[in-house]
Amino acid sequence: MTVAHAPGSLVSPARRSRRGWWARTASDPRFAPWLYLAPMLLLLGVFTYWPFVHTFYLSLTEWNLNPDQPIEFAGIDNYDRLVGNTLFQAASYNTAIYIAASIPLKVLLPIPFAVFIWSLGRAGNLYRTIVFLPTLISFVVVSVVFLWLLNPLGGLIPSFFQQVFGWRIGNVLKDTSTAIWVILLLSTWKVIGFNILIYLAGLVSINRTYVEAMRMDGARDWTVFRRLIWPLLTPTTFFVLIYTVIFTIQQVFTPIDILTEGGPDSTTTNLFYMVYQYTFITFDVGLGAAGTVVLFLFLLAITLLKVRVLDRRVNYQQ
Amino acid sequence: MIRRTAVAAAAILALTAGPAAAEDVTVTLYHYQTANAEAFRAILDEFEAENPDITVQDIFAPSREITAEVQAALAAQRPVDVATVIGKNIIFFLNNTPAGPINADREANAWLDRYLPNFLDLGRVGDDIFAVPHAYGTPLIYYNADLFREAGLDPADPPQTWDEVIAAAQTIQEETGVAGVAQLHASNKDYGTMLMVMNAGSEYLSADGREALFDSDEGIAALQMWQDMANAHGVMPIANDRQWSAAFQGGQLAMYITSSAALRSFHAAAEGNFELGVANYPLFGDRDRRVPNSGGALMLYSPPGERREAAVALLEFLSRQEISNRWSRESGYMPLTVDPLGDPAMAAYVDSFPLVLPAIEQMDETVPTATWAPYGALEAQTIVSNLIDALWADEGPAANLVPPAVAEINRILAEANPQ
Repeated sequence: MTVAHAPGSLVSPARRSRRGWWARTASDPRFAPWLYLAPMLLLLGVFTYWPFVHTFYLSLTEWNLNPDQPIEFAGIDNYDRLVGNTLFQAASYNTAIYIAASIPLKVLLPIPFAVFIWSLGRAGNLYRTIVFLPTLISFVVVSVVFLWLLNPLGGLIPSFFQQVFGWRIGNVLKDTSTAIWVILLLSTWKVIGFNILIYLAGLVSINRTYVEAMRMDGARDWTVFRRLIWPLLTPTTFFVLIYTVIFTIQQVFTPIDILTEGGPDSTTTNLFYMVYQYTFITFDVGLGAAGTVVLFLFLLAITLLKVRVLDRRVNYQQ
Repeated sequence: MIRRTAVAAAAILALTAGPAAAEDVTVTLYHYQTANAEAFRAILDEFEAENPDITVQDIFAPSREITAEVQAALAAQRPVDVATVIGKNIIFFLNNTPAGPINADREANAWLDRYLPNFLDLGRVGDDIFAVPHAYGTPLIYYNADLFREAGLDPADPPQTWDEVIAAAQTIQEETGVAGVAQLHASNKDYGTMLMVMNAGSEYLSADGREALFDSDEGIAALQMWQDMANAHGVMPIANDRQWSAAFQGGQLAMYITSSAALRSFHAAAEGNFELGVANYPLFGDRDRRVPNSGGALMLYSPPGERREAAVALLEFLSRQEISNRWSRESGYMPLTVDPLGDPAMAAYVDSFPLVLPAIEQMDETVPTATWAPYGALEAQTIVSNLIDALWADEGPAANLVPPAVAEINRILAEANPQ
């Protein structure tokens, strides 16, 4: 029996050559980072970037998801149809309201709550649990419960106002001036605990000795907050701002679907809900894809604007 | 030793799993009967017992999601053999999915004649039938008989016309303080509107779905009446379907007009709380009743071959009068076959539970649900929904609000669906 191995080696030349290639590539500073990034890049490519590119392609076609039907190129017809229709106009306007209102309600309102809980030290754990609880409840359940609570026919909230204050508040979900605010308040109640938790994580990184030092210098609560806490909390605030703007129109999807279906008079629909309706209710895939692209550009523009305007005011160092 | 074991294992596989796999056929059925899933599964089990070589894999999804589920499965080329399609979407599905005619072999599929002809018409295009009736609902008046008595009305003589409905609602509100009446509104965005204008004598849509026609005198009069119910008469609290339904079940609404599919849940809610009454959909004066169906039909997607034969066998099984009637009894949907009371079990059921009688009486009065053209449907339905909101909010009389809304719908449909 002939042994072709080099003296002292237990590995065949072919195998050694393969291991040698891997070893060389893995240790090469030009390739090594890409090798480590490859799994994540692959996942991002397959599940994020390729679907986006494909969505853009679909926005230029006429198709209904039917594999037997040919996909017809439609150019910018879908964008033309989209811009010209009143549903899109209403959805865009409402999207702007959802985003604008979410900043004071979901970004700024949690800050005082978080600072209060942080100031309590360990005693704040109970409050933290209480404010976080709504985040754990399914949004479908929350929406159905509020549908009952707000029912003008015997619902707890209208009955309470009627019996305690003598006010008839009518049906706030069918009133064009109130419906969108009900959905906004509901989604705020649902996510505020989560945002408080994020702010608390940011507050934990602030060295309490700074606070004690300021107090010894005679600083009052407001001064401590304005001069110390607020500047050091700006990176967290910036993060909460970015993701709130991006996710707020997704967060309101469920209450829109269950409480109002976009009405009354299209005052509660938004671009996200409109895209869902086009794509999965009437299977106008091209129009739904065009709406998705517009929504993406809308969010991208807002995010870039925020980064440009706000990023320089963020304090990243203590 | 290893080789011998492998050969033995292969032989066992070949003798057992191999031949069985070649003969067994799986039929994939998409269905939205989540509330009645157990009853329907029992029927499918019975079919499997009768056809041991066929397995029915049932995939249930809520009614709001079933259309998207089926469409996504078809797009992903996952097996879909039979699918429940909301009645309103039958023609839309024909335009957008690869459904096949069920009566391609007319002699072999003579079982279709078991169904009432006007129910088959709901899924008929020319001579071909693309949808088998399955879970059709019809709108009925549900009423709280206790409130009728309290208001001095006779619950054994419920209102027959809209004028009587409004008068009864006013009496009940005055005497008991409980809200009078509501008719479902937003199911599929515009079902309630279609129902009302069609019964008032107007057409809702043209046959090809490209033109809205409810700006006729009759259509405007019907929508004016709906507005008056909310405002001038003040007998209809402005709410949505879910709120009305919850209120009726809680005894906070005297009359609610909705699908026969709600009968089971309303009956259960009323038990021990109030006496439930059921009456036919109200007439507009002396006009005939024309009730578009709600609910769903079964469409066939199997490719030719074993799976298609098995799927058709399943459809045939479901069409048998005793099975169809049993499904009707357990789900609350209308019976579907010719002369349903010819089945002694059904006749006995109606005797013991007469609340189903109005639904059976309306079987002959069922007409196809109007279907929108393939593109622009969402915008059109949204305009209808907004129109009803505007009417209820008293933004102007129907004569002022309806014609511009119809004109806008027709502009959108014409642009989105060029001839």
